[in-house]
Amino acid sequence: MADEARKKEIFEKLRNGVIQYDEDACREGAQEAVDAGLDANEAIFDGLVSGMEEVGRLFEAQEYFVPEILMCADALYAGLDILKPHCKQMDLGVRGSVVIGTVEGDVHDIGKNLVKMMFDVAGFHVYDLGRDVPLDKFVDEQLKTDSELVCLSAMMTTSMVGMPTVIEKIKAKNPDCMIMIGGAPTSKDLADKWGADGYAEDASNALKEAIKMVSFLKKLRDEKAAKQ
Amino acid sequence: MNSRERVLKLFRKEAIDRVPCFSGMGNITETGITKLGYKFAGIHLDAKQMADTAATTYKLFGYECGVVPVDLCVEAEAMGCQINVYPHAEGILYPTIKEKLIHNETEMDTISLPANLGAQGRVPLLREAIRLLKADIGRDVAVGSYVLGPFTLAGQIMELNDLLKLSFKKADKVARLLDLMADAIIIVAKEYEKAGVDYITVREMGATSDVLSPRVFKSLILPPLQKVIKELSVFSVLHICGKTNDIVTAMMEAGPTAISVEQKNDVAESRKKLGDAALIFGNFDAYNVLVSGSEELVRSTMRKCIDDGVSAVWPGCDIWPTVPPANMEAMMDEINKYGGKR
Repeated sequence: MADEARKKEIFEKLRNGVIQYDEDACREGAQEAVDAGLDANEAIFDGLVSGMEEVGRLFEAQEYFVPEILMCADALYAGLDILKPHCKQMDLGVRGSVVIGTVEGDVHDIGKNLVKMMFDVAGFHVYDLGRDVPLDKFVDEQLKTDSELVCLSAMMTTSMVGMPTVIEKIKAKNPDCMIMIGGAPTSKDLADKWGADGYAEDASNALKEAIKMVSFLKKLRDEKAAKQ
Repeated sequence: MNSRERVLKLFRKEAIDRVPCFSGMGNITETGITKLGYKFAGIHLDAKQMADTAATTYKLFGYECGVVPVDLCVEAEAMGCQINVYPHAEGILYPTIKEKLIHNETEMDTISLPANLGAQGRVPLLREAIRLLKADIGRDVAVGSYVLGPFTLAGQIMELNDLLKLSFKKADKVARLLDLMADAIIIVAKEYEKAGVDYITVREMGATSDVLSPRVFKSLILPPLQKVIKELSVFSVLHICGKTNDIVTAMMEAGPTAISVEQKNDVAESRKKLGDAALIFGNFDAYNVLVSGSEELVRSTMRKCIDDGVSAVWPGCDIWPTVPPANMEAMMDEINKYGGKR
């Protein structure tokens, strides 16, 4: 087992790799973590996710914009691809599977992909339907996979209006399923009106929401570890 | 003073009796489509249906313009993209691009514009629609059209994800592509001018400060926008969505007759920055106010736009077709009552 200083150094490398959108550093850091026998889940959360949290902050401070976030996401995935096969199944009391996609009429998927990334990080099973997805496909996929979460994304007002139909159909068949809507034209009022459980108005907010959720999972994991 | 005179005088910065209420973006309504017995998916492909539908917003509600097209795919289609109009959709789905033209970084350098771009895709159909629209209501209202901005068009013909990252990593390469997009847009806009439009809106929706930094806006987005706008001989409006307070000065530097901003812009602040003479159009929420808001919200929002100092009350985006007729009526009524008070 690596000593604490070495562990800290590797996590810092992963964290900075994400913040500085340095894919090579993330790849190296991830490999070092594996070679040193570090816990892969810990490397993901305390390295990569911790870096993404800082990226979210930099975006809010308007130091980073969408191009930077996309590059940071690439760096995160570079590390995640290496660490993932070494992850132990997280036992958090949630089964964690999610259906995600951009609704029919909309071909924008940046926000959707950022949210998907955080679900990937959290070890969710992600059923990514892609973009321009016919509304019924969300309903079918939810039923087929029994996912507890469905995320609907739209960037254009012109495509958002299909959302209430999907929400209504899913809730009718499966009232317990949580539904998150996102995209520039959505709002908390619309989410409430349409019966969605959560909303994020843009890629950064979606990222923030997803980070919040994943950070919450991380907290659960830490508490659980502390008890053992 | 009829609506046409009012809007044209506004563009010329001459005195007018009240703030006009019009748009440079799509503003057709389901009420209009139904009245004509048309289907939404069909109006994009038929010049007469497109022009008839565009005229109904004026005819039914007194909205002070006629605008075609209705969708955002004309330029990309003329360049060779396939579009999907969702012919079988029950509700309203706007056309989208099916297949990109650029699939990798190398193709950014090898892409070229098709010969005779002005005769490709639906450009001739648009020319005909503009002609019909002008013949129908052109004496009463100004007739407008819109083109995309270079960055937004580039985001349609290649993956937006890649375009955004390359804007950062390989700005020179992106700048060359945007310059080519500007050429394409100029060719299409010239066709609209030949058909007789009174004004053209350049919709650079993808380049908002929600997405790109003001620094990148100035270095990368502004030069090709300037190139396009310089070539327009009719009145021009530059529209950008999202947060724009940090870039309104740069938007003006692009050289349009007017700028158009949406509800995320603090217009009072922009007015202070740009001065009394600048033409600022905006800035109400075309969905959450006009479609799903109450009549009272519509009225108070109109008053707020005017109080904040817009030169014309104009929506932040396309008007969503399911807008309730009562809200359209409330909007126009409030403009008539309140629009001359300033």
